[in-house]
Amino acid sequence: MKNIRFLILLFTSLILTTSCEDVIDVDVQNANTRLVVEASLDWEKGTAGNIQTINLRTSTPFFESGSNTSVTGALVTVTDLDTGTEFSFVDENNGSYRTNEFEPFLGHTYELEIVYNGEIFTAKENLNSVPDLNIIGQSREDGFNEDDLEVNMKIQDPPEEGNSYFFKFWKQGELLPYFEEFDDEFVNGNVVDWYFEIGEDEETEKKEAFQPGDTVEINFYSISPEYLSYLRILINQIGGVGLFDSIPVEVKGNCVNETNPENYAYGYFRVTQMVKASYLFE
Amino acid sequence: MKTNNKEGFVKRTKRYLLLFSFLMVSISYSQENFTLNGSITDSTNGETLFGASVFLEGTTIGAITNEYGFYSLTAPKGNYTLLISYMGYNSKRRELTLNSKQKLDFELVEYSTELNEVIVTADEPEMAVLRKPEMSVSKMNIATVKQMPVVLGEVDILKSLQMLPGVTNNGEGSGGLHVRGGAQDQNLVLLDEAIIYNTSHLFGFFSVFNADAIKDMKLYKGGIPARFGGRVSSVLDVRQKDGNNKNFALTGGIGAISSRLAAEGPIFNDKGSFLVAGRTSYAHLFLMLAGEKNRASFYDLNLKTNYEINENNKLFLSGYFGRDILKFGDVFDSSYGNSSGNLRWNHIFNERLFSNMSAIYGRYDYNIGFNSEDFEWLASIDNYNLKYDLKYYFNDGFKLDFGASAIYYEFDPGRLEPTSNESAINPLKLDIKKALESGLYVNAEHKLTDRLSAQYGLRFSLFNRMGGQALNDYENDLPVVFNSRLGIYEEGNVIGETYYENRNSIEAFHNWEPRASLAYQLNENSSVKAGFSRAAQYIHLLSNTTSVTPVDVWTPSGKYVKPQLSNQYALGYFRNFKDKEYSMEVEGYYKTVDNRIDYIDGSELIGQEAIETQILNGESRAYGLEVLLRKNEGKLTGWLAYTLSKSEQRTPGGSAGGLGINDGEWYRTPYDRTHDISVAASYYLNEKWSFGGNLVFQTGRPVTYPNGQYIYEDISVASYAPRNSDRLPAYHRLDLSLNYKPNKRPKAAWKGEWVLGIYNVYNRKNAASISFGQNRETGANEATRTAIFGIVPSLTYNFKF
Repeated sequence: MKNIRFLILLFTSLILTTSCEDVIDVDVQNANTRLVVEASLDWEKGTAGNIQTINLRTSTPFFESGSNTSVTGALVTVTDLDTGTEFSFVDENNGSYRTNEFEPFLGHTYELEIVYNGEIFTAKENLNSVPDLNIIGQSREDGFNEDDLEVNMKIQDPPEEGNSYFFKFWKQGELLPYFEEFDDEFVNGNVVDWYFEIGEDEETEKKEAFQPGDTVEINFYSISPEYLSYLRILINQIGGVGLFDSIPVEVKGNCVNETNPENYAYGYFRVTQMVKASYLFE
Repeated sequence: MKTNNKEGFVKRTKRYLLLFSFLMVSISYSQENFTLNGSITDSTNGETLFGASVFLEGTTIGAITNEYGFYSLTAPKGNYTLLISYMGYNSKRRELTLNSKQKLDFELVEYSTELNEVIVTADEPEMAVLRKPEMSVSKMNIATVKQMPVVLGEVDILKSLQMLPGVTNNGEGSGGLHVRGGAQDQNLVLLDEAIIYNTSHLFGFFSVFNADAIKDMKLYKGGIPARFGGRVSSVLDVRQKDGNNKNFALTGGIGAISSRLAAEGPIFNDKGSFLVAGRTSYAHLFLMLAGEKNRASFYDLNLKTNYEINENNKLFLSGYFGRDILKFGDVFDSSYGNSSGNLRWNHIFNERLFSNMSAIYGRYDYNIGFNSEDFEWLASIDNYNLKYDLKYYFNDGFKLDFGASAIYYEFDPGRLEPTSNESAINPLKLDIKKALESGLYVNAEHKLTDRLSAQYGLRFSLFNRMGGQALNDYENDLPVVFNSRLGIYEEGNVIGETYYENRNSIEAFHNWEPRASLAYQLNENSSVKAGFSRAAQYIHLLSNTTSVTPVDVWTPSGKYVKPQLSNQYALGYFRNFKDKEYSMEVEGYYKTVDNRIDYIDGSELIGQEAIETQILNGESRAYGLEVLLRKNEGKLTGWLAYTLSKSEQRTPGGSAGGLGINDGEWYRTPYDRTHDISVAASYYLNEKWSFGGNLVFQTGRPVTYPNGQYIYEDISVASYAPRNSDRLPAYHRLDLSLNYKPNKRPKAAWKGEWVLGIYNVYNRKNAASISFGQNRETGANEATRTAIFGIVPSLTYNFKF
């Protein structure tokens, strides 16, 4: 199973994939630097979830690399709005802010507050429960390419509507993860078969399909519908936007600048329950 | 314009009727006049000629044949010399004593079938038409199209039209046309009067029009005659051949991509003729999809037959069926295409009144099978169209077109069907939408003085979005709301549902669409023209992608989507030089379109029941200057076209709140081109050899590039600049072609021809798109250019038998 709208759109983009591609130099515009909030409070099912880290950075020009983007000196707190408990995140002076006391409760609403450069940023998010992720093995014939290996999973979507999910796959030894998302719009209450396969990129050889001996790490999150809308745009735009993709847009997260709304932040404050798994291909 | 303003409606009706009757009074009528009518056909195959002219030499009296080759002219009693001419054909002269009403049919001989070497000479319509008020029209003879170099040897009328000023595409590998800064869905494309919803094969690499089956085509960029309605930008009127009514003939070709074969000949004891033309691509040879498991192919079939019941009654039956078939490994199976059929009845009431009735069916549908996921996705649009058109030739100075049409639409926006019991997908069927679009029109061609002539008309259009479905009700009546906290547009809150019974309409619209143009002939060689036209468009193609795709669906106007309304003003100067060897056409235009929708960030249109939650209502405007310089005669013919233009749109938040898309500021449409230069030339060396060349330069297409990046969830996320605020690099290329006709014996039945073409001679890698992403190995951001066609040589063999 894959996201259905994504599949239909993918169909249209495949036709161009084998045409001539090359990397070129392009001049792009430079927007103002913004605060980037990576506040991902992920509670692994079956653990206490006390230790949480929030990362603050700044944005940079598109082609810039290697610059130090850490944001230090901010005040970061998260409040459980159902209990009133406040968790302070300690500045580790490297852009990370950490707490060892976080208490996750399903169904609770949490509020993030960041005070930085005299401006206050806030965001709210709910914590939803995650179903179990069952890895049922590997196959070759299920995925996009019947020669390539994929890992197969099963998820029982709960009967109520409106569940949204996020996958983060990491092939061991690779620099970057892969993201996928879906919701239960077309599959509500069903057992959902999901697979993950890396499509070999024959021309650039930047992507290699799974081989026996490879390990894939899987993080599976239950997310809010709002975060799904955010991720959907973000994931669609990762790796570039082609002729048959939607016109790309600036992805706007949920961290609002209460002091100066124009100076909004990038990134997102999410609170999720998640499960981790890994699979060794045979 | 909603139907609620009844008083205004009546007032406007009165005003228009009054204006019309006023103009009618000025028509003089003389008892001494007699009418000459008949038809003009090609001498070798009997095809009727559209746009051929019959003139009485030494007077300004003349007529142009209509779509069915019919003409009628009225002149005072007397002796005349008739001059009958048509582009690409030898003119004919004939003495005539007009002292009673007469019927005269003429046959013209095409140049290329003559024995002696001939030099192409110009006649209307390729040279500038000075006297007629018709402006903003591009006509192309199919012979001209066939001479132009083309990619992969596939003659393509849409690509040839893009060589003309004011016409562009959305880059290589995208289908359709953009006319005067208009969107693709704003073009009414007709094949033998049937509406074609998707004009391209294989995502725009080729057009659905098989040149062997096409007789002629006319593109109205503005000044759309009142008999056409339903689109705000342009009308492309393509007509199929009737079929040779003198001899059985076979034509065909073998090319790199496809093979073609057409058979035509007389039937019904010479009372009629037929044409069957087929074209099919080679599935495995398609270069773009070299992978063994991927296949892409297309085919199409054109059919036409006609039967002459008697002198005054003729029936035509035509059909088109085209299909694309795509297969991507084991993942997708897909097919899509247009089908249409048309039955027409030409009836000549008398020498001055010509009529045609048509019953037309049209359909576009697609399906995609997802084998690994066990489901299928299907969508379609069907329409049934009945129309009746009449033309009355009052006298030499006044001709009247009038008629009515009705189109019934059924839109199936999508169905999701599991294809096996194991599928995890729940079946889904979006509501079918139904609508009836009808129109009434009257249009006059009126010669006011010897120098001044006018064309004016009025179309009244009605659109009824029919019930039989439920629609969502939204909180505060807002399907889209602005989340001012996050600065994003979101779907409105559904508070209920209203079911509209079959007999009730959901919404009804009507519009008056006045069209007028004026031509003033300054002297024998030059004229100025001015035009205004208003048009309404009731159905819209939903597409939020950079390039229109075959899976985009059409949607009717209704409770939430309003009809698009355009006003276009044009002014032109036309001049012939050096005894018509050269001609120049200069036109400026300004066009506005109301109710042009755009899509909110992150919009999802596929499988979307509530389209209204994904769109905002806006407007667009386009203006430009077009220059066309043609050389019409001699061994070297061709043209230079230059367009300077701008096309923008604006989408404010409106009742949804917020500033709107791009903060409510004007932004470029994807089809905005500042400069567009095209040079098309062909050189006729001798009866064996001829050469062709195209040179194209265009400002790059507006696109959206990143203006920043940040690390989030271990990846670099690109942040994008305002919509369409960047541009691709300029597009340019040169194509050459060489035609060789080896046959020395012109009397021989078999005539062959080799066409060697080289597309993009200097192998420029024109960017179809540039995408931005992070290199998965190095982690660095990079820009990747996708270029579709490098240098592409091709060889085609065409034959006639």
